[in-house]
Amino acid sequence: MADLVQMIERAGLSLATVMARKGADYGAIIAALGDGELHATGPGTWLAVSDASLDELPDRLRGQASVSDQSGGYIVYRFAGPGARRLLQRGAFIDLDPEAFGPGAVAVTAIAHMGVILWQVDAAPTYDVAIFRSHAESFRHWVEGMIPALAPISA
Amino acid sequence: MRIPCPHCGTRESQEFVYRGDAAPVRPADDGAMFDYVYLRDNVAGVMREHWYHAQGCRQWIVVTRDTRSHAIDHAEFAR
Ligand SMILES: [Zn+2]
Repeated sequence: MADLVQMIERAGLSLATVMARKGADYGAIIAALGDGELHATGPGTWLAVSDASLDELPDRLRGQASVSDQSGGYIVYRFAGPGARRLLQRGAFIDLDPEAFGPGAVAVTAIAHMGVILWQVDAAPTYDVAIFRSHAESFRHWVEGMIPALAPISA
Repeated sequence: MRIPCPHCGTRESQEFVYRGDAAPVRPADDGAMFDYVYLRDNVAGVMREHWYHAQGCRQWIVVTRDTRSHAIDHAEFAR
């Protein structure tokens, strides 16, 4: 498995959902996050991901957006290695071919019928999957079951 | 069947929840409420219908679909 796919938990992250108020300036909301990652999850909604604390984000976005802490709600797994795309494609309905989904692309979708927020980190390819913590064990179980199917068939 | 979500792009219909005909409008008087809640035409042809993108952008959309062929003409946000 290790050669084909590496799966690690991005531990210690701060996570928050950000929802723009009616008429808010999306550019100002994006700028307020600073160095963190902001992954679009819907019209005027994002998942903020940061190694640093997001405790000050609600104040910075006061009147512009609502912020809900999700640090304990989601777990984020990082997938890398030559089999990463094939693995995730086994569970996702969306097309992960580089022509359809590349670095910086984000999708709220389902993998193996479990709701996820999926984004591509780089062209290696590396992907991150944010999933509700209560689904994490089922998700890891699905990954473990899928890995053997990725291995080349030997005689 | 795949549904062209105006935010997410084309997605598998399993990501959506179907609500039904988008035509009925909530009536002001209680007398018309029964019809609004319960009575629906069984449309054979093009109809506008509500779908909720539950495993996506979590938006309500209106899909214009031909119920005989499942051909989808277009989809737009419900609001
Ligand atoms: Zn959508």
